Amino acid sequence: MVLETILYLIAYPPLWQVLILGFVGALLVAMVAIWFERKAAARVQRRIGPYWASPRLGGFMIIVADMIRYVTQQVIIPTTVDKIAFLLTPVAVLVVTILPLAFIPLSPHELYWPVASMEYSLLIALALTTLPPLLTVVLGWASSNKFSVIGSLRESYVITAYELVAVLAILAPAASTLSFNIVYIVEAQQPVKWLAILNPLAFLAAFLAVLMSTSAFPFEIPESEHEVVAGPYTEYSGILYALNMGGGYIRRFIYAIIIALVFLGGWAPYTPGLDPFTGFIIPSLIVLVKASIVVLVMSFLRAVYGRYRLDQALDAAWRLALPLALLGLGWSIILAYMNLI
Amino acid sequence: MEGQKLQGMVVRRVEKELYEVFIGPQHPGSGHMRIIVRLDGDVIVEADPDIGYVHRTMEKLSEVREWLKPIPLLERMTIIDACNITVPYVNALEKLMDKSPPPRASYLRVLLCEINRVASHLYGFGIFGVFLGHSTMYMWAFGDREVFVELAEILTGARLTHSYPIPGGVRRDMPQDFPEMARRAVRYMRGRLEEYRRIFVDNPVIVKRLEGVGVISRNKAAELGIVGPNVRASGIRYDVRLAEPYEVYDELDFEIPVFEEGDALARTWVRVEEIKQSLSIIEQAVDWLERHKGEPIIPKEDYDKLPKLHREVYEKTGRVKLLPAHATMKIPAGKAIARGEMGRGEIIYYVESDGGTTPYRVRVVTPSARNAIVFKYIVPGHRLMDLPAIYGSIDYFPPEADR
Repeated sequence: MVLETILYLIAYPPLWQVLILGFVGALLVAMVAIWFERKAAARVQRRIGPYWASPRLGGFMIIVADMIRYVTQQVIIPTTVDKIAFLLTPVAVLVVTILPLAFIPLSPHELYWPVASMEYSLLIALALTTLPPLLTVVLGWASSNKFSVIGSLRESYVITAYELVAVLAILAPAASTLSFNIVYIVEAQQPVKWLAILNPLAFLAAFLAVLMSTSAFPFEIPESEHEVVAGPYTEYSGILYALNMGGGYIRRFIYAIIIALVFLGGWAPYTPGLDPFTGFIIPSLIVLVKASIVVLVMSFLRAVYGRYRLDQALDAAWRLALPLALLGLGWSIILAYMNLI
Repeated sequence: MEGQKLQGMVVRRVEKELYEVFIGPQHPGSGHMRIIVRLDGDVIVEADPDIGYVHRTMEKLSEVREWLKPIPLLERMTIIDACNITVPYVNALEKLMDKSPPPRASYLRVLLCEINRVASHLYGFGIFGVFLGHSTMYMWAFGDREVFVELAEILTGARLTHSYPIPGGVRRDMPQDFPEMARRAVRYMRGRLEEYRRIFVDNPVIVKRLEGVGVISRNKAAELGIVGPNVRASGIRYDVRLAEPYEVYDELDFEIPVFEEGDALARTWVRVEEIKQSLSIIEQAVDWLERHKGEPIIPKEDYDKLPKLHREVYEKTGRVKLLPAHATMKIPAGKAIARGEMGRGEIIYYVESDGGTTPYRVRVVTPSARNAIVFKYIVPGHRLMDLPAIYGSIDYFPPEADR
């Protein structure tokens, strides 16, 4: 009885998904993304990049060493900050960042879903992804530092411009499949009717919007080092800074999972079985691999581009990305109308 | 109180709508200086360059050192452009002493000057790249700069602080295999410039950041007295190598790249073109040096004074071992002005001698000191994110300005 309960608890999918996949998986992916970013940039820049920390692993352990450093570093709390907000916001950012995972199915079977119903999962997951930037604004305000305030202001400009694009572009698949259910959207893309191929406009808009809203290059504007030091995170140190930085990567990863599901066919072309291995582990691994590819492509852009100016980025949002997203949405409706999917 | 001037201070009314940001001196984007920026929203209303954080009293220190010793001292102003900054000082001394270097020494100086110029521009590119968030340009430029730093090391024995020219000549002849190495470096750099163009100068993001930003019109450039690549990007054809050729620049075949736009992009292009011209000068100098092997690198009267041992070292290895008498030499009383073109622009030395063993006065006007004014008059009206773009494009080097 007790054993069964424990087993049930351990095998309970929501626990797996949010705790194991959410925290551990996201942490691991963030680490790999950071490592890859450094290693790929080093390759482009004719350097070696991380190496001596573990020559056989290509220097991957430097990331672990960095994390140990962050954890053990002194957390400096300036006297001028709003202490409660200053301390709580980074934690809240991380929690809110991981929350969308609760509404993201990684398998077609109800048994392996984190919540019982996936009926409006895409809508809810998207709504939750828009929360962390608001907290970033709080973060900057709580720091009461000029660079933080400018950084937060930039962040708020950026989210007004790009969250709309992100939401519109990522909702385009819902328009073409006539459902907010991610499972349904994925199944509709079986085997290779991926929406990234059928609707490249929306995919491109979504990709751009995610780059922008997670401040990846070439849109790394709120944290732009050469005017605002570290933007909203200027006053942070130690573990709190690590939470902020890691939060950004994890957010990008969660967006990437959503994109992998709704645009890149999720676990398609694989048809999941019923048992835990073929029904949950293989499909979720497929999704993770697709999401990782998206994250790695985003990371790679760092080596190629500089950063846009704030007004140019906003200009691109309203003049280029928004029409692109609207066109994508229109094209999805045409797809649905002509029964192409 | 308003407008009242206290000693060394300006009293300003606190404006509610303006946001005052102190960029520097402890800021990743400032260098060794502070720029006080007053913002109205995202637009810079006023920018106040606050320089002097790395002032090292170079001029005063020069007055208490024997004539040769300011050479290694003055190099430290712009350690990345060491030969260009010492050649005009040596020229001034030569004017006072009425001495002129043999042509081979002159060619060697020019060779090192151009190697320095390439390295200095690459350094500027690296900083510029990282200011715009382009880490690849940063790493590439610093990596390729290494080629020229090594070249300088092979030639002089030191990576940065060469102390190469001495009054009347240079301290070392070039090694036998140097021409081949220099030609290889030139070939390599020409190929790399094409790659730079592809990833940085023609990169759509970078072009968007630089085009029309920090425009210095022709008139404004003349009025502010800006020098170097910055003035040539504004359509003014001014280069000391052209205006008042020193060393053997009048014997060499090179062009002065001039652009009309006056914006940050034009300044970037001027530097790219200048690197090309410098590469061509390096080739010409090396060719000449190869054709004129075995010519002296110090004047005959100096050679005659050398003892036997020193002569042997000089003839065998090409190294000039200076006599103690050199360190304590006296220079006839008089005044001399010498100019030179550094990587960043025109440098002027005024050297005065009272006939003693040390200079009576050494006055230096460095290009960065003259370019610093851009911050005050060109930056206002731009957005905060343009500040690094302008800073990087004028290639400002604080230690050089502060002396």
